[in-house]
Amino acid sequence: MHTDGNAIAGVLEEVFARDVTATDRVCQSCRARRAIGAHRLFRGAGMVLRCPACGDIAAAIVAVEQGYAVSIRGTWLFK
Amino acid sequence: MSWRHAAIAEVRPETAHAKTLVLDVDGWPGHRAGQHVDIRLTAEDGYQAQRSYSIASAPESPRLELTVERIEDGEVSTYLVDEARAGDEFELRGPIGGYFVWHAGLDGPLVLVAGGSGLVPLVAMLRHRRAARDMTDARLLLSARTADDVLYRDELAALGAGDVAVRLTLTRAAAPPPEFPEAWTRRIDRAMLEELGPAPGTGARIYVCGPTPFVEEAARLLVELGHDARSVRTERFGPTGG
Repeated sequence: MHTDGNAIAGVLEEVFARDVTATDRVCQSCRARRAIGAHRLFRGAGMVLRCPACGDIAAAIVAVEQGYAVSIRGTWLFK
Repeated sequence: MSWRHAAIAEVRPETAHAKTLVLDVDGWPGHRAGQHVDIRLTAEDGYQAQRSYSIASAPESPRLELTVERIEDGEVSTYLVDEARAGDEFELRGPIGGYFVWHAGLDGPLVLVAGGSGLVPLVAMLRHRRAARDMTDARLLLSARTADDVLYRDELAALGAGDVAVRLTLTRAAAPPPEFPEAWTRRIDRAMLEELGPAPGTGARIYVCGPTPFVEEAARLLVELGHDARSVRTERFGPTGG
């Protein structure tokens, strides 16, 4: 069962050093513009954020020793 | 964002499954209604468990309050609800989140839709609204299993007797409780949200919080009713070990 980007707001703030749940992202696949907090979160060995409109990957985050390995996709609109 | 030292000042029972922890937090910078915190417990052998909990108190409140619902076999919530006592200490970081937040002075009616303990961040908004003497049109729909599962029951009844439209639906009860004679006794549906109002196009800011299936259904119904999807903010919680 997924949750959403709000559930890893703390981890995202560790990575970006600011809140990004209110940051909009434009999807590389469907061009939908949605806040990161509205993205779907799937947890497994790592954390995967997906576009709420098309399901394509927005971010993959894996905890590694002393930090995180992070891959992000699409256009994140920092204000 | 660093981990801070938190000490429990008071534990307040809310329902048979939930308690409010009133906390003293070192250097707490204040928060906005709707935000949450991460809590980290460390065992003697160094094992750590981390969970997120919504803030229940208004930003105006002198102390930080979290309401925690026990999840059966949950690693952290069972400790916080069953074992934690005044004087106990743990680590906490926050406030966290900038998406699912509301503050007094924002335009548009405030519409809150809660499933179970999804009420916690929403009650923070209502408490903030009251503390700030904000006059925004505010409406709450809470879905709970039975009347005994309703968090802040007396407070909700008082808010409902005041200027907040408080509606309740009980999914596993046969009849409405005395203080909410108009409560529904079924799962959330379109007619309920239509009656809660306001009509689409009135610029409402809508906040939906609860377990994922509840949030998905409520958000879908709201958009189906004609509300702009971007005006519907959601926060889902699910099984993360409790």
